[in-house]
Amino acid sequence: MAKFVTIGERIHCISPVIREAFATRNPEPILKRAKEQLDAGATYLDVNIGPAENDGEDLMKWAVKLLQENFDNVPLALDTANRKAIEAGISVYNRSKGKPIVNSADAGGRIENIDLAAANDAIVIALCSAEGIAADNDERMMHCQTMLERGLEHGMDAADLWFDPLFLVVKGMQDKQMQVLEAIKMFSDMGLNSTGGLSNNSNGMPKAIRPIMDSALVAMAMMQGLTSAIVNPCDLRLMETIKSCDVFKGNTLYADSYLEL
Amino acid sequence: MPFNRKPQKFNAAIKTVELGSGDKKVTLGGESIFPFYAFDGEITNGPKVGVEISDMGLENEVPGVKAYYEGASTMGEIAKKASEMEGADFVCLRLEGGDPNGADKPVEELVAIAKEVADAVDLPLVVEGCKNVEKDAELLAKVAEALQGKNVLLLSAKEENYKAIGAAAGLAYDQKVGAESAVDINLAKQLNVVTTQLGVKPESIVMNVGSAAVGYGYEYVVSTLDRIKAAALSQDDKMLQMPIITPVASETWNVKEAMAEEEEAPEWGSREERGISMEIQTAAASLAAGSDAVILKHPQSVATISKMIQALV
Repeated sequence: MAKFVTIGERIHCISPVIREAFATRNPEPILKRAKEQLDAGATYLDVNIGPAENDGEDLMKWAVKLLQENFDNVPLALDTANRKAIEAGISVYNRSKGKPIVNSADAGGRIENIDLAAANDAIVIALCSAEGIAADNDERMMHCQTMLERGLEHGMDAADLWFDPLFLVVKGMQDKQMQVLEAIKMFSDMGLNSTGGLSNNSNGMPKAIRPIMDSALVAMAMMQGLTSAIVNPCDLRLMETIKSCDVFKGNTLYADSYLEL
Repeated sequence: MPFNRKPQKFNAAIKTVELGSGDKKVTLGGESIFPFYAFDGEITNGPKVGVEISDMGLENEVPGVKAYYEGASTMGEIAKKASEMEGADFVCLRLEGGDPNGADKPVEELVAIAKEVADAVDLPLVVEGCKNVEKDAELLAKVAEALQGKNVLLLSAKEENYKAIGAAAGLAYDQKVGAESAVDINLAKQLNVVTTQLGVKPESIVMNVGSAAVGYGYEYVVSTLDRIKAAALSQDDKMLQMPIITPVASETWNVKEAMAEEEEAPEWGSREERGISMEIQTAAASLAAGSDAVILKHPQSVATISKMIQALV
């Protein structure tokens, strides 16, 4: 089994510093956050430029080149609702360290992002929802099937669709947590890859609690077969948990210094 | 439906490590396929064969080995003959006389021998210590210093002495460091981690992950080699992508099948043939399981294994 893939989530336009840096094309804050995440052990970096309706194409190209030139062609997840911006980003993307990830498609209005990924030999995050959160796992798996077929029809390798069960917030949706974990097991039983915004579970919790909840959930989700997650890699407890779970799963070979690698 | 062959591709490769200098230098590693899987991809460099000689001379060797070195009396002459052996890619000098529980030769004397040997051969040189961790820490550091510019591989840095040997060989004198563990895959990885943390470049490390003669717990050696290659290639584990060297002769010529004289075990037949057979079988199995180099002693073993490699590469 391959090592768990962490996608660093900290280059996100929801952060005022990053939004400002994108707007003014200021490399410093973006490079700083990229370095922090890579030093902490992220494999991929997510680049969320928001809706970027006006200059999305230009902005995504700039961000892709900036990050790949400074960090040895680091593999990236291109995260925006602007489809043209994703295509523009891929047009300048160097895939020597990994295919680009299209973040994201769903089984509803954004299903064409699967076609986009297929046309560009990219990975796509396939969110198992259509209009709103899936009511149960029957619905989740129906969306999964729809998107899988769409990808295969367009010539994709099934391994390039990373299914996202949609992690739900505990405060408010505690009763749905086991369903999400069961969905991951179903993806895994079908031999599919999976990912998702895992830290969503701890939204609204005190800052000191979040790493504990995230670590517990990632361990349970990895047991179920989760192969990747979009996370904050600067969360040391979380990263230590992932590395330890990778050892138990046989994804990496144990050595006494395994946490330093 | 026609059979559609799908090669097994890895996005990872074993690092290449160069030994020696000039025309005769050899490159270990570089492969991104399992051992001899030529149907999956190119065999980049192919495994290499080394010829072992010892500072203790030829006295205890079997007749076939003595006959090969006939006329050679100094260590320089012995080394030269070793380097001319059919199939030899490099020479390995074992300084076993340094063992405090054996001949306990002083470090200066052994360093002088290493220099004499290095000057006599143009093939790359591997220098093996006496296996005593304290003595080797001093001895191999001094050898690394004395042979500057020769780009030799020093066997070996172990858990107990990797700092001294790694710092001298890998950092101060720009030689290659052998990282030795005894059939313990986790320790093999750990030793590479701490040696690189010391500042030694990964491209300067060759692993000796342990060996045994066939029939003497050899299955563990095979499974260790197998698992290391699998982790290096399929999991892209950078801390296991160092090429592997396996000293074979020092194991196989010390077991009873290779030691018992014909008079003691007449039903076993010729002692020398048994020894050669043990050496060839162990070497072939080690190469098939993932060694990038083996160290042998008998001219017939060296020729046979070298021929096997040529036929498969």
